[in-house]
Amino acid sequence: MVGLLFDCVANPLGAVRLTFEKAVSSGSDPVIFNGKDWGVFDIFREFLFNKDGLSQVPILDHASISWLPPNSLVRFRGMVQDMLGNELYVGAFKDGSTWKTNKFMDVASSPMDPSSEMRIWERRVLYCVPVPGQASWVSPPEAAIDRCQSSTSQHGEKRQREDNAAIDHMDSDVLEHETKGSPPSAKKMREDELPCKSSQQQEPPSEETPSLLHMVPDFDENSLPCLVKVYDSPESDLKLNDVFEFIGVFTYNLELTTQKDDSDEFFGDLCDDTVGDVPSIKVPHLHCLVHRKLGVQEFLHCSPIIEPVPNIIRGIREALLGHLMSVLGNDGVAAHCMLLHLLSKVHTRVDTVAVGRLSLNLTGFTRESISVFGNQLNLVIQSLLPLTRYLPLTLEYLNASSLAPRKDYRTNRLVTGVLQLAEGTHVTIDETQLKVGTLNSTGVENVRLLKNLMEWQKVEYDFEYYKVEMMADAQLLILSEGKSNILPADLVLPFHPSTVGSFESRDAEALQAWRWYLSNVKSLPHSIEPEIQKTVENDLVEARQADRNLGTHDFSRLLTMARLMSVSFGETCLSLEHWQMVKELERLRLERLK
Amino acid sequence: MKDFNFNGDKDLAKDFLTNFADAHGEPKYLNILQEVANRKNRAVQIDLEDLFNYKDLDEEFLRRVTENTRRYLGIFADAIDELVPQPTEAFPDDDHDILMTQRTEEGTENADGSDPHQRMPPDIKRFYEVYIKASAKERPFTLREVKASNIGQLVRISGIITRCSDVKPLMQVAVYTCEECGFEIYQEVTARVFMPLFECPSNRCKINKTKGNLILQLRASKFLKFQEAKIQELAEHVPKGHIPRTMTIHLRGELTRKVAPGDVVELSGIFLPIPYTGFRAMRAGLVADTYLEAMSVTHFKKKYEEYEFKEEEEEQIARLAEDGDIYNKLARSLAPEIFGHEDVKKALLLLLVGASHRKLKDGMKIRGDIHICLMGDPGVAKSQLLKHIINVAPRGVYTTGKGSSGVGLTAAVQKDPVTNEMVLEGGALVLADMGICAIDEFDKMDESDRTAIHEVMEQQTVSIAKAGITTSLNARTAVLAAANPAWGRYDLRRTPAENINLPPALLSRFDLLWLILDRADMDSDLEMARHIVYVHQNKESPALGFTPLDPSVLRAYISAARRISPYVPRELDEYIASAYSGIRQDEAKSNAPHSYTTVRTLLSILRISTALARLRFSEAVAQSDVDEALRLMQMSKFSLYSEDRQKSGLDAISDIYSILRDEAARMNRLDVSYAHALNWISRKGYSEAQLKECLEEYAALNVWQIHPNTFDIRFIDA
Repeated sequence: MVGLLFDCVANPLGAVRLTFEKAVSSGSDPVIFNGKDWGVFDIFREFLFNKDGLSQVPILDHASISWLPPNSLVRFRGMVQDMLGNELYVGAFKDGSTWKTNKFMDVASSPMDPSSEMRIWERRVLYCVPVPGQASWVSPPEAAIDRCQSSTSQHGEKRQREDNAAIDHMDSDVLEHETKGSPPSAKKMREDELPCKSSQQQEPPSEETPSLLHMVPDFDENSLPCLVKVYDSPESDLKLNDVFEFIGVFTYNLELTTQKDDSDEFFGDLCDDTVGDVPSIKVPHLHCLVHRKLGVQEFLHCSPIIEPVPNIIRGIREALLGHLMSVLGNDGVAAHCMLLHLLSKVHTRVDTVAVGRLSLNLTGFTRESISVFGNQLNLVIQSLLPLTRYLPLTLEYLNASSLAPRKDYRTNRLVTGVLQLAEGTHVTIDETQLKVGTLNSTGVENVRLLKNLMEWQKVEYDFEYYKVEMMADAQLLILSEGKSNILPADLVLPFHPSTVGSFESRDAEALQAWRWYLSNVKSLPHSIEPEIQKTVENDLVEARQADRNLGTHDFSRLLTMARLMSVSFGETCLSLEHWQMVKELERLRLERLK
Repeated sequence: MKDFNFNGDKDLAKDFLTNFADAHGEPKYLNILQEVANRKNRAVQIDLEDLFNYKDLDEEFLRRVTENTRRYLGIFADAIDELVPQPTEAFPDDDHDILMTQRTEEGTENADGSDPHQRMPPDIKRFYEVYIKASAKERPFTLREVKASNIGQLVRISGIITRCSDVKPLMQVAVYTCEECGFEIYQEVTARVFMPLFECPSNRCKINKTKGNLILQLRASKFLKFQEAKIQELAEHVPKGHIPRTMTIHLRGELTRKVAPGDVVELSGIFLPIPYTGFRAMRAGLVADTYLEAMSVTHFKKKYEEYEFKEEEEEQIARLAEDGDIYNKLARSLAPEIFGHEDVKKALLLLLVGASHRKLKDGMKIRGDIHICLMGDPGVAKSQLLKHIINVAPRGVYTTGKGSSGVGLTAAVQKDPVTNEMVLEGGALVLADMGICAIDEFDKMDESDRTAIHEVMEQQTVSIAKAGITTSLNARTAVLAAANPAWGRYDLRRTPAENINLPPALLSRFDLLWLILDRADMDSDLEMARHIVYVHQNKESPALGFTPLDPSVLRAYISAARRISPYVPRELDEYIASAYSGIRQDEAKSNAPHSYTTVRTLLSILRISTALARLRFSEAVAQSDVDEALRLMQMSKFSLYSEDRQKSGLDAISDIYSILRDEAARMNRLDVSYAHALNWISRKGYSEAQLKECLEEYAALNVWQIHPNTFDIRFIDA
């Protein structure tokens, strides 16, 4: 087994080199295999998943970046925020008479003779950021330890930071956008956060560290971006806004940053672009060896093993419903609707309809009650779901901010917007703060975007010359005074609290169970038996005969609710009982609307 | 690899340039060279297609040219150097020529030849540029498909230009003079940056060890126009969930100023890595930036008339045209996800096809575009139909009545922020010239805005008299409008005119006004409930029972159909006239007319019939086309008529009887052929099954006799 010859974590490139030499010596010619994998991926997959090496691999974040040695194996969790296209690089070259490879590297392993024979291969460059709206409880425990270690401050760091700030102008654009849109709570958290420091002792003795030491960046807590270079994977594998865990070789060559390009001034306006294609130099690089897509479940790092037995699920459901009731001032109907809403997810798209979404509009909030219930509700949702966003909708906000991501052709980058969300993000939109006023063209555009997200679960990204529709899957909750006309939700419910909600913090164990419940029950399969189907069809026709205003939209919503209801009990098949419950819930809801 | 015989290839190139003859037998390239020699033309474009069609084609040579284009550009230029004929026309010498004459005179006295810097590079003598254009036969690449293996090759790509730099001079040959020896020293520049020479490298200076100072001579140096642009993938080429890619383009010489941001273009060019120089070469390490050295630029036209068919498309169209059921098939393929509404879809298909424009001798124009207004209850998928049509049409604009003022629809005069000049900016209708303009929420538009549409719909122009600009713009567009009835839902207790609530002047301009009512109907409700339950259960739409044609096929077929302009044969004149007068009389009889029949209606009938003939690829309108046109006009108000009949107590069967009786009386005949009867009733919106039922019922009453085989009718004279 080759695995014994090198340390996969500390020296992954050794493995790359060895396997390459082996492949070349066993007769394959680099000219022929043209950058295709020569067995590296298998070795690492074997190491990570079969030999349980995954836990040994440190996570790359703002804290660990200061002590992680370059060219070591790291993992990074993030969302694909931008795709920078293909990069051509010298993949293999002849050093004398032997072939050497540069795959998974930023700089050549040994000096290259420009005249020597070389092969150009390509790799894909993705710009990844930590998942927007990620709850604080998600971050893995290792990171917390590191943060304690790095509390001694060092002199001279400030200057460094200024340097970085100057260099970093491109990234800070992106960051600014994020801060504007993120919830106030997150902002506060960031202020409290001490900028990370590095200390000498921690540095593992390595030849390349000195340069690194000087260059510890002060990236924001929530936004250590990373440039991931992907090799040999089919294009359809990695999509925009997908959340991945990348495991690969970490490089962070800041020396490159310091030499800002100045040779190109002759070509004034466009020379920025050529550099813009590779903004890479300012953020850590990761040469991806293995990547895997993360679902919502995988954010619960230490999920308790709960047997999906109906009884247990029923128990959790009752407890969670009770919790929601207490938060919502004993409003049972609202708690039920909220539970269904929290379980919703886009299962599939048929033609233009996103099947499975259930946006909720709680009406009847006033300025006073929003401060009581709204904030609590928000806290509860944040504690339950891993990915959340809170949007206070004000005129100024709508008129000033750009919600959709747009392409900046000056920097050749996709500037993120609030609505660039990972799959399954929960968005709370607080409409109570909206006052009478005029929307400018940006505002109108933003409202249209929100409406589209609501109706079709799609966000149009602005590429100036045309728009590209990106599929989204966001759970939308709207809090408003009256029925929101700007944002037509699937489920409109006047909110009738009877007591002032009490927000008791629940013990960690219950919270864990609820988080597990919400993220796992969602994806249960579902089916409708023929007999029930008949009943459902007849009920729908009857309802339509009684009320001509019911349309396909309402039918679809009722069926979604039925699905969610039965799934919330951990069942995979719609029963008559659950269908009745949905009808009853709908009746109660309609009564309130009158 | 190195044993390429470039000299041999130069001879091949020369041979091709001298001997190639185009379709008319003209020596195409020699003619170009003559023009170049006469300084009328600066570009020699070598079309690879010509090389491909060349009689003595050497396939290896062609492959080499495509795969190592940069090199062969030089080879062709060398070949041209040797071929350029003497000018046949006189032209005034410019600075450049004077310099050249001097150089050639001097060249003879100090041509020691051994010094590369002193030899005149061929580039400086050339007053033309050579381009090699890729063959237009294959489908162009998308940016995504250009891979590392394409480096150095000639590729053809399509995309949208997003940024352009200014045109700047790029030094091609730097010329210096030496202070000591007085020689001219040449330096060829191949990259964007170069290291200027400071010491004279000439033999004389070297021998004398004088280190002659060099002075750059800007006037003597050769510059090239240079422009850099960025091209981005087209939206339709981007896979779902991905971001459009971009590529840098270098445009030189005659190709500069050909593109502007927003242009959709097709380029052929050489995919090359950027040679790094100096610092960047060191730190950029392994990564190479790439660019496309443009060789030709073609702008995309998005009009039906300019649609170019590919071979397989032509075959497919031919196959479809032979299929008898093409009309239904095409109609069903429009918005296949929208259930039912077959007649509406047929009408929309005809809108896409349109009729030909007619220009009479006295200058009067008769439009060929078919305007359609869809009016109906909320939730009958009007907007979706509109959007789908826009997607199918090669040129379409979607707008809502609420969202666009009259100015936004027609044209606006605006002040240019940079130059402070008044500029005319076209609105939706102008942008949709030669295409389709879909206006949603037509009823919610302001009255004043709506009047702006009157002119467009009949005259097909937009006139502007504002801020000193008086002009009229073409707006040859088919208008597709969607509107809700006056009270949101159609109110059956009120008259149609009250419900429709659009002024007659506007209504008469629509060729078809389609009423789609949402009726309380157990069957359709059940159908709907089933559909939705199915979608939720199976996560897909129920099977359609047919495979819809691809929008691209649809587009190709329609553009093929639009090339035909059918005529109305004389023998149909009488038929159409009587049909028209029939409609007029019906309307006069009825006390609450559903439509306003004017001369425009007659034109509408002709237009729709012509469109139908086009669909059949027929040069002449047939009677069946006219019947179908009349049927569509009837069907458009079908939901209303069925209501009328219920009120008047007539069921379908007795209505059919009265139609047949009236028609027979009008023609003063007792015999009615079955085909005729079917025509009449289908015009009124009845089906064949209903006709049969009627025939049987009344035959039993001994009102008429039915021929047992042909089903022809004979009234029994009472």
